[in-house]
Amino acid sequence: MTRSGWRGYIVFFLAPATLIYTIFAIYPIAESLRLSLFAERDSAALFVGFDNYQKLFTEPYWAEQFWNAFKNNVWLFVLHMLIQNPIALALAAILSIPNLRGAATYRTIFFLPTLLSVVVIGFIWQLILSPLWGITPAFMNFIGAGSFFAPWLGLESSALTTVTLISIWQYVGIPMMLFYAALLNIPEETLEAARIDGLNGWWIFWKVKLPLILPTLGLVGILTYIGNFTASFDLIYTLQGGLAGPNGSTDVMGTFMFRTFFGFQAQLGDVNMGATVASSLFFIILLGVSVYLFGVQRRLQRYQA
Amino acid sequence: MATLDINNVVKQFGKVEVIHDTSLSVKDGELMVFVGPSGCGKSTMLRMIAGLEELTAGEIKIGGKKVDRLPPAKRGIAMVFQSYALYPHKDVRGNLGFALRHAGMPKAEVTQRVDAAADILGLGPLMERRPSELSGGQRQRVAIGRAIVREPEVFLFDEPLSNLDAALRVHMRVEILKLHQRLKSTMIYVTHDQVEAMTLADRIVVFRDGCVEQIGTPLELYRNPANKFVAGFIGSPAMNFIDADVINGNAIHASEAIASVPSSSTKDANYTKVSIGIRPEDIQIQANGKWSGTVEVYEHLGGEAYLHVLLVDKQTVVARADADSHYRIGETVRFNVVQSKLHMFAEDGKAIPKT
Amino acid sequence: MRNNPLSSIAIHSVLILYSLLALFPLVLIAINSFKSKKGIFRDPMALPLGDLYSSKGYQSVLANGDFPLYFGNSLIVTLISLVFILLLGAMAAHALTEFRFKGNGLLGLYLILGIMVPIRLGTVALLELFVKLGLTNTLTALVLVYTAQGLPIAIFIFTEFLKSVSGEIKDSARIDGLSEYRIFFEVVLPLIRPVIATVAVFSMIPIWNDLWFPLILSPGEGTRTVTLGIQQFIGQYTVNWSAVLAALSVAIMPVLVMYVIFSKQLIRGITAGAVKG
Repeated sequence: MTRSGWRGYIVFFLAPATLIYTIFAIYPIAESLRLSLFAERDSAALFVGFDNYQKLFTEPYWAEQFWNAFKNNVWLFVLHMLIQNPIALALAAILSIPNLRGAATYRTIFFLPTLLSVVVIGFIWQLILSPLWGITPAFMNFIGAGSFFAPWLGLESSALTTVTLISIWQYVGIPMMLFYAALLNIPEETLEAARIDGLNGWWIFWKVKLPLILPTLGLVGILTYIGNFTASFDLIYTLQGGLAGPNGSTDVMGTFMFRTFFGFQAQLGDVNMGATVASSLFFIILLGVSVYLFGVQRRLQRYQA
Repeated sequence: MATLDINNVVKQFGKVEVIHDTSLSVKDGELMVFVGPSGCGKSTMLRMIAGLEELTAGEIKIGGKKVDRLPPAKRGIAMVFQSYALYPHKDVRGNLGFALRHAGMPKAEVTQRVDAAADILGLGPLMERRPSELSGGQRQRVAIGRAIVREPEVFLFDEPLSNLDAALRVHMRVEILKLHQRLKSTMIYVTHDQVEAMTLADRIVVFRDGCVEQIGTPLELYRNPANKFVAGFIGSPAMNFIDADVINGNAIHASEAIASVPSSSTKDANYTKVSIGIRPEDIQIQANGKWSGTVEVYEHLGGEAYLHVLLVDKQTVVARADADSHYRIGETVRFNVVQSKLHMFAEDGKAIPKT
Repeated sequence: MRNNPLSSIAIHSVLILYSLLALFPLVLIAINSFKSKKGIFRDPMALPLGDLYSSKGYQSVLANGDFPLYFGNSLIVTLISLVFILLLGAMAAHALTEFRFKGNGLLGLYLILGIMVPIRLGTVALLELFVKLGLTNTLTALVLVYTAQGLPIAIFIFTEFLKSVSGEIKDSARIDGLSEYRIFFEVVLPLIRPVIATVAVFSMIPIWNDLWFPLILSPGEGTRTVTLGIQQFIGQYTVNWSAVLAALSVAIMPVLVMYVIFSKQLIRGITAGAVKG
C-alpha cells in the first residue's frame, strides 16, 4: 500500500455504485431533460427549444391538465402537512414517554400499514368505503351519522381528499418514526434540567423537545413534499385508474405524466411531452429542495448537545 | 528493538503544513513521549511513523533501515489505539492472534505467542470473550497484547489511556511502565496529558503547531524549559508568569527588583520587558516577604495546599502553601521567591540563559 | 411524566384507539377472506366460524396459478437488488469516508443527490434505454433500476454511520498487514452490521411494493411482480369478492411475517439514530 502510487482499490470500491447509479438514475433524468427540448416530426427528433414547455403551460388542452394536476398535488401536500405530520408528532410524543407500557407493541402496530403495498391498501379501502359492501354506512349508522355517508371515492368533490386520507392512514408511520428517533435522541439530562427548572410535561414538550427536533420537522416537510409529487401515483392509479377520475378530480403529476407518456384511451402517447411533464416536475421538486436547503435547513440549526 | 530516526520530515494536508521540517531520534529501548496540546502534530507524526500517513518530505528510519515507503505491516511496528480498535467480531484470542495468522505464522507458534502475551497481561480468563463483553481497562489490555504478540521493534501508543476513567488511567500507566521495564523495547507514546508524559517518559518531545519545542528528560524540561510554552505546559499547577520591566539590568516588578537579568544575554539583545517564571513551590509565604497580595482562592488537597494570590497589578500567582496553615479569603499575605529557581523569558518566549 | 392514573388512562385510550384504526382494515380483510360472498355481505364483522367459513376465495386465487410465479419474481428482484444496494453502497461509503482523493466531497454529494431527485422522473429515458439494451420485460431491468434507486439512501446512511465510528480499527488492520480489499470485507462489513438491517428494510419496502416500474418496464406475464400481479388480478375479478379478499390477504402475508420477525431490529436501527436528518 504505497500511498502515493495508483490507488486502484479506490476505483474498485467506487466504480460499481457510481456506474449503476449514473447509467440508471442520473442519465435517464438528464436524458429526460434533453428529450423535453425535442419533438418528433416525421419520425425524426427535431430540436424545438422550449416549445414543449410553452405548449404545456399555454395550450388549453395541456395547461388545463397540468394546472389541475399541480393544484391537486398542492392540496395533497397541504393535507399531509396539516393532518399526517401533526398526528405523527403526537403519536411519537406519546410513545416517547419514558416507561410507557406496551410502547413497542403500539410502535409496531402504527408502522404496519406503511409496509404494505399501496395497491393492497388502495383496494382494501376501496372495499371498505364501497356502498356495495356497506361496512362504512353500517358503521356510520351505528354512531348515528348514517345520513352523512356518501360514496366519497366516486364524488368529484370528495375523491381527492378521501384518497389523501387513505395515504395519510398508510404513511403516518414514517414521520412518526423520524420524530420518535429525534425525540429519543434528546439527552435525558436536558429534560431533567427542564424539570428542575419547574416545567411540566406539556411545557417540556413545547419549550424544550419541539425546538430540539425542529431539524427533523424540516426534514419531514421536504420528504413529504417530494413523496407527494412522485409517490402519489401508485395509490391514485390503483384507486381511480389512469384517468384519475372522477373527471380528473384526483389527477396528480404522476398520473398526468404516465398518461402523457403512454397515452390513454383516445390520447396517443408522446415521449417528448412526457419528458416535458417529468422535467417540469423535476424543476418543481428542485425548487422545493432548494427552499429547504437554503431557506429552511440553515435556520433550523442542529443544536449540539 | 531498534533505534528510530526522523530526518527533516514535513507533512502537508493539501496546502496546509501541519508538520514543519522536524528531526529527532529515539534511542534503542527508550520510552519516548510526544506531548502537546491537541492539533500540535504529535499524532500525525506517530501515524507517519506507523505508515498510516504519507510523508510530504523527509525520511524515517527504524533500526537504521529506511522504512517511509514501506506498508505499515512491513515496518516492524505495532500500535495501540485510543479507541482500542479491537475487531468486534473476534474473541480475545482471535484478536491477539489475528496479525500473526494473517502473516502466515505456523499455528503452534501463534498459540505460544498469544498465550505468552495473555500471561503477561493477565488475560487468561478472558480469552473466549468478545470485546463487547470486556471493560474499558480489559479492552485496552487486549489492545496492548495485540501489539506484544507481534514482537515489534518499536511500539507506538496513540493516547491509549484517554478513554479510561481517572483511577484506571493511573493504574494502566503503571502497567505500561512495568511492561516497558520488562520488554525493554523502544516505545513511542503520544499523549496530551503532561502528567502521563512526566511519569512515563525516558525523554519527552514537546510539540506545538507542528514544531518540536524541546526534547529532553522530564526533569530537564521541568528545570530548564527552553521557552515559555514548555515552561507553562510542563508541571501542575502551571508555572506562574509575572511581567516585569528591565531597568539597569534588573527585572522590576511592583517597584521591587525581582531578579537581575544576566549581563551575558543583555549584550546581544536589549531587553526592556521580560516574563519571570516562578513555579508554585518556589514561592515562599513569609511574614516579612518582599511582595504582597490578597488571597483569592485557597485550595486544600489534603497533603498540600495552594493559594491563588492577587497581586497589586491584578496579576494572579499560585503558590504552594503549608498544608497545616490556614488562610482566609481576602487576607493579605507576603511572600518571597527562591531566586535560584527563577526562570526568565524574553518577549518572544525564549528562555534567557541563567548566567 | 408522573404516574397519574388518569393521564395514563387517557394516553392508553388514545393509543388503543389509533391501534384499532391502524389494524381494523387489515383484520376486516383477513377475516372476510375466509367467507363466501354471501357471508361477506351478510355478516362482515363476524369471525369466519361455522357455516360462515369458506375457502373458496383462496381456491380461486390458487387456481389462477400464477401467484407462485409472481412471488418468485418479487423475491428474486427484491433480494438481488438488496444485495447490490447493500454491498455496492457499503463499498462506496467506505471509500468516501476512508480515503482522501481529489473530488471526494463532490462525488459524495453526487451519489446522494438521488435522495432528493426521484428516479421516476427519468422513466421516459429509462424505458428507451432498456429497449435499446433489449432488457424490457426482464427482471434484470428491475434489478438495475432498483439498485440505482436504492444506492443514494444506502450510501447516505452508511456514510453517516462510518463517520461516527472510529477509523482506528481500519488503521489497526493496516498495521496487521491486511490489504485494502480485505480490510473492507473483514473489518468494515462486520463493523456496519448494526445499520445493515435498517438500510435493508428501508430499501426493501419500496422495491417489494412498487407498482410503477413493473407496470412500465416489465408488465409481461412471465415477469410480473406480486404487486403488479395483484393489481391485474383484482382488476379482472372485481365481482368475485372472496377471491379479491383472499388475494389481498395473500399479498399482505409475507410482508407481515417479515415485519414481525425483523421489527425489533428495524426499530432499534431507526432509533439508534442511524436515520438522521
